[in-house]
Amino acid sequence: MSIWSEETQVRAKEIISRYPEKRSAVMPLLYLAMAEDGYLTDEGMEEVALWVGITPAQVRSVASFYTMYKREKTGRYLVSCCTSISCMLLGGDDILHAVEDESGVPHGETDDEGLLSVEHVECIGACGGAPAVQVNYELIEGVTSEKARDLVNWLRSARPEVVNTDEMQELFGGVRSFDWAVSEVDGAIGPYPAFQPLGTVGTEVGE
Amino acid sequence: MTESVRMTIDGQEHDVPAGELIIQAAQDKGTYIPRFCWHERMNPVGMCRMCLVEVESPRGPMLVTACTDTVADGMSVDTKGPTVKKAQEAILEFLLANHPLDCPVCDKGGECPLQDQAMSHGPGDSRFVEIKRNYEKPIPISDLVLLDRERCILCARCTRFSDEISGDPLIEFQERGNVTEINTFPDLPFSSYFSGNTVQICPVGALTAKPYRFRARPWDLSRVESSGMFDTSHPRISIHSSQNQILRIVGVDNDATNHGWLSDKDRFGFEYLGSEDRLTTPLVKRGGELVAVGWAEALDIVANRIDLIWEEDGGSAFGVIGGARGTNEDAYALSKFARVTLGTNNVDCRMDDALSSHFLAGSVDRALISDLDTADTILIWAADLKEEHPNLYLRARRAAQELGVKLIIVHPRATGLDDRATHKLHYRPGGGFALLDEIAEGVHPEIASALAAQKVVVIVGQTSFADDPKLAESVAALVRSKAGTVRIMPLARRANTFGALDMGLGPDLLPGRVSVGAIGCASLAESWGEFPTSPGKDTRSILEGLDDGEIRCLLLVGADPVNDLPIGAIARDALEAAEYVVSIDLFLNDSNADADVILPALGFAEKEGLVTNVEGRVQKVNAISPGPGQARADWSILADIADRVGRPLGLALAETIAKEIAEVAPAYEGVTWDLLEWDERDGVVVPIQGSQQINHIPVSLAGPRAPRAGLTLHVARTLYDDGVLMRHSPSLHRLAPGPLVHLNPEDARRLGAQGGRPMRVVTKHGEGDFAAVIDEDTPEGVVFVPFNQPGGVSLGTDPVVRVTAVSG
Amino acid sequence: MSAALIVTRRMIDHPADSHRIDVYEDTGGYVQARRAVGMTRDELVDTVKASGLLGRGGAAFSAGLKWSFLAPARPAYLVINADESEPGTFKDRQLLERDPHQMVEGIIITAIANEVHHAFIYIRGEYPKSARRVQAAVDEAYACGYLGSGIFGSDHDLEVTIHLGGGAYICGEETALINSLEGKRGEPRLKPPYFPAAKGLYMLPTIVNNVETVSNLPHILDMGAEEYGKVAHETDTGTFLFSVSGHVNGPGNYELAHGITWRELIYEVAGGIRDDRKLKAWIPGGASAPWFVPAQHLDLEITKEATEGAGSMLGSGAVIVMDETTCTVRAAERLVRFFAHESCGQCTPCREGTTWMEMILRRIEEGQGREVDLDLLLDVSDGISIGLAWPPKMTTICPLGPSAVSPVIALRDYFRDEVMEHVRLGRCPLGTAARGASNSETDIDRPEVLAVETRRERGSGGRPPGEGSPA
Repeated sequence: MSIWSEETQVRAKEIISRYPEKRSAVMPLLYLAMAEDGYLTDEGMEEVALWVGITPAQVRSVASFYTMYKREKTGRYLVSCCTSISCMLLGGDDILHAVEDESGVPHGETDDEGLLSVEHVECIGACGGAPAVQVNYELIEGVTSEKARDLVNWLRSARPEVVNTDEMQELFGGVRSFDWAVSEVDGAIGPYPAFQPLGTVGTEVGE
Repeated sequence: MTESVRMTIDGQEHDVPAGELIIQAAQDKGTYIPRFCWHERMNPVGMCRMCLVEVESPRGPMLVTACTDTVADGMSVDTKGPTVKKAQEAILEFLLANHPLDCPVCDKGGECPLQDQAMSHGPGDSRFVEIKRNYEKPIPISDLVLLDRERCILCARCTRFSDEISGDPLIEFQERGNVTEINTFPDLPFSSYFSGNTVQICPVGALTAKPYRFRARPWDLSRVESSGMFDTSHPRISIHSSQNQILRIVGVDNDATNHGWLSDKDRFGFEYLGSEDRLTTPLVKRGGELVAVGWAEALDIVANRIDLIWEEDGGSAFGVIGGARGTNEDAYALSKFARVTLGTNNVDCRMDDALSSHFLAGSVDRALISDLDTADTILIWAADLKEEHPNLYLRARRAAQELGVKLIIVHPRATGLDDRATHKLHYRPGGGFALLDEIAEGVHPEIASALAAQKVVVIVGQTSFADDPKLAESVAALVRSKAGTVRIMPLARRANTFGALDMGLGPDLLPGRVSVGAIGCASLAESWGEFPTSPGKDTRSILEGLDDGEIRCLLLVGADPVNDLPIGAIARDALEAAEYVVSIDLFLNDSNADADVILPALGFAEKEGLVTNVEGRVQKVNAISPGPGQARADWSILADIADRVGRPLGLALAETIAKEIAEVAPAYEGVTWDLLEWDERDGVVVPIQGSQQINHIPVSLAGPRAPRAGLTLHVARTLYDDGVLMRHSPSLHRLAPGPLVHLNPEDARRLGAQGGRPMRVVTKHGEGDFAAVIDEDTPEGVVFVPFNQPGGVSLGTDPVVRVTAVSG
Repeated sequence: MSAALIVTRRMIDHPADSHRIDVYEDTGGYVQARRAVGMTRDELVDTVKASGLLGRGGAAFSAGLKWSFLAPARPAYLVINADESEPGTFKDRQLLERDPHQMVEGIIITAIANEVHHAFIYIRGEYPKSARRVQAAVDEAYACGYLGSGIFGSDHDLEVTIHLGGGAYICGEETALINSLEGKRGEPRLKPPYFPAAKGLYMLPTIVNNVETVSNLPHILDMGAEEYGKVAHETDTGTFLFSVSGHVNGPGNYELAHGITWRELIYEVAGGIRDDRKLKAWIPGGASAPWFVPAQHLDLEITKEATEGAGSMLGSGAVIVMDETTCTVRAAERLVRFFAHESCGQCTPCREGTTWMEMILRRIEEGQGREVDLDLLLDVSDGISIGLAWPPKMTTICPLGPSAVSPVIALRDYFRDEVMEHVRLGRCPLGTAARGASNSETDIDRPEVLAVETRRERGSGGRPPGEGSPA
């Protein structure tokens, strides 16, 4: 008997059907498990193991290889500050310190309320808009220390249901890697990538 | 026929087999390339990088791992030059950077590949001044294995073993990069029947065995090679002891039987030998109490009683049960003792749970274990190899997984090999003949076509007591009618059953696979003198004979029929009715506790001799411990009794018994201790063709039919149970599943069963409460109860069963 | 608009809606895929071979040749490597978000050429927006019958599955990517024997192509191999996307043909160094590449051959520019930290060596360095990449470990004094400036458009008018 909701189970089946071999669905199912529980629990991994027919140890082996499967309780907003080379050259470390200082949450940790998690990450492909920050993997480019502090306070006070990259870029961003050109309606509802076919999305895709 | 290629290793030209790995080719030519992750029984991964060598290429010299690159004609390999040396020293310095260097307190110290190769190929010092990785230590990853992560060099041997070889990938790499570790899932231990192999192949002290940890230094150990005696495959082992106490057993690599792997039962199941409960002196019942007496007194008492009964009723008043756990020499002595001294053919090493003696001993197309590697199709019928024959399980798994052999499994429920099966069929216990009919009639065309292959190996057992023993023979007959070449591997339970049958421990068999009453008897009579010529009673009939007084005296040799028989009550009743019971054994058990005389016997690793495995392979087992107290070998006890009775066996030394066997049993001609100790360490297969004097006649496919409605009981063995040897091996005994009843989720729902809650199980032979296991592996309508569990009840052989929830 | 802008042309012409199928089709989209349906494998492979298209993922291997190596067993798979993670690189993100149909059309062409019926787009997990855009494009293509069964009314079926990564740089390595796609740890496989063309996804023949590589395909069919080959500097055909980042006034992606000099790229195309500071060093091809310095390399032509001849590589086209305020020890530490963090951990030298290197560099940067540390650092590096040359003589399974050595080689060759100064002073001689914080607080003047075209006729050697200025 699955511990997952009906809807998640339907999605899990659909995801598995996209691959010639069901083990390939491990990664998307891990995101589903995160979406179910807010982060990747042991129970979530055991459930994924059942769905794809491998052992929980094998699932955990995969999950722990990647950085985005958070196996500890993670805040509703995961703030990831890039400190890789290009962002570092343009003050990425200061952004991290500003976020840590303003939130009171050091790298790798979550506040008591379970609202904010902070981490520094390696390159997130926003080097032309360095320094860059992601909230639940939704990007903000050209951030300053001051704006980073504003971002933390905004997340704490506004508590957006959905974090939207365009909205945040408008409020807290600056230089971009390239012209984003088109505004996005979608956004993220939790600390996992907002990509609907894999079961995680803020608002529904569509007009 | 392998082609060879000409290559150069360090300037020397060599001809080596094409397609071989450089590391193997070099080793065969005397050049040792250092390595950690490479293991010749597993797929190479090239991870540790220790075996880097330089190979000439069109683009100049290239570094390659010798464990992953194969040889090629004209290839030139440098294993010692400056680049290679730089690489080797770098790798070793990297490996040691975070290694704790706690060698003085590490079990592996003194036999550690990391230690050895650091010395032979390392830089000699470390420049690592940073803080080393640190982990909580040790953490138990199973009941038998401990893990010290900081010692681990991440060679993936244990993870590959569990994934590729044993098929239970419960130990895996976790995390990545510099914090990569091996570990299990939280609260899901590495509960593999084969976990100990990971300890043996670990190239450092990261995985250690609980029973051995901190017990000895390897240079203090005495070692002797032998064969494992927990099932009929007889894996090759090395037994290590200190001060006459066995401390560990490790597998010995060989192609014939086990590739060096062992089940945990073979590896850790030696504790009983050192048990406090071992019998150390003869015991005689006086006034309802067992009293310790000297050997002379005990033997006199037994001989006098035998004399008395013999005088009154002759040989037909005797019965002999057991003898399948000792050596061939013991079995031969027992066989001769029964015939010559007692004058009876009432002798059986089987415990009413076995296939027919002729099928077991005389199937002319008997399979070798290595036939599994080369088969087109393997049919496994009514055998859960993982539970019953773990060493064969590994070989069959490898055949299906790595060698592409088709695997058909027919069984009452899912088995440990189902995940590798090409086809599988489940049937209700007792319904085997009906299914066989269906296959013969073409109802399962995919199976019929897989059986119509060039080479088919049939592994056939009798998992469920409800199955008629003749079913196995009918399965063999069906496959013989379909396949090109058929090799049969009939399974038996106790470890030296095949040796015992070859020595004549069956009511219708004499040494050398000769039928009682057949022409071959005459030549045996020349050596033995007079003995009865008509078949005797099997175990079941002997017990029934005791019950009705026809048999007065029972000799039990390493046998506990109360627990071993499918219907324990038959044995219990018989033993109660018996006039006189003599037991030769290691322990008091439920069958001999009330015997008249109990004689202490030597066990495994306490005596030398020959054993014969499921293939008919004869190997030598050896002694490393003198045994407890006054315990003696079976054969010498029997010889002394025979002398006192006045019908002597003429057996004075175990080694000369082997010579006598070779003389009277044509198949064993030339099989001497010397041969097996020096020239043929992996044993010799005694030929059935030519020397065999019994012929297995294929039987028809027809057999009894079982009911198809209601619930059907499947009682079958699990690896760990409440058998007497396990009872005295605490490390393993606690792993026995206990009294459980497995139910399909659908049946469980209907019966109101909940996981872990007790269910009342009732058959016509017994009833008791068993904890429910809700289990997809058990088909609807089938109820699975593991046999002979601590705290369990014997449910008998009848498949009809009633299961109800126990309230409260 | 000039003919030489290839993969970014549509997004410049139609900034608001270049990602939509109607715009894509109005601008010539899917014409070539439709045409390809009627072509044979040989025709397509030959065309791509003749075009000289090199893979744009970093290894710069001939795309046509890669296709021709595909083993005959079927099914075969196509995997698009959109796991863009090389520090400094953000070009594929732009292609994915701004012109996803261009890639989808490239996928269709590749699938037809290689008799593939199932393609996977492996997008890095940190690019959910890209994944959404690509999914929308794929959905549109399905709806139009360009994907699915019987595409363009032919009997060719093509399923496309988008797979989101989980955060692991190493999955950009093609065999690691395949393992990841199989639901395993993203550990690179051994080559040999696991060349994807023979034993790839599920041990079946597999083509792994980069986003930019396949995005070029519709244009190759449109222009013809010969014409496409002319957009070139000698052997390096077509255009390349350069991602320029760091201390330049105009960071961004630039579509260029090879053949200009680094001076032109940094000072003209990317607008020069911020605040008119002095250029100290740059990384010519992503974090893995050995560094260049102005004194030796500024007037070198940007070609595969010239870059490799000078001991580096063009890699993924990421140019990371460092000005005089940069502490090179800190930059090296940051790069090595990246590789140590991203090491998969399976092979010893990379797992142990990169972390050890990071520890030594951090000690030096924090003022705890010893005289012997640079030599130790070099010797540890030597154990990963024997001889410290480029291309490396690797002791590792894949090039990740040796990539970590590149910045160390730069310290040895160009910044030894700066390293020793750290040791001597017991601190970073560049002080707070080394933290590189200054520019992030100010606005940068951005070029109006993001792509600049350059064009050089084969063998002409001359620079066409307008090169290096905004198109």
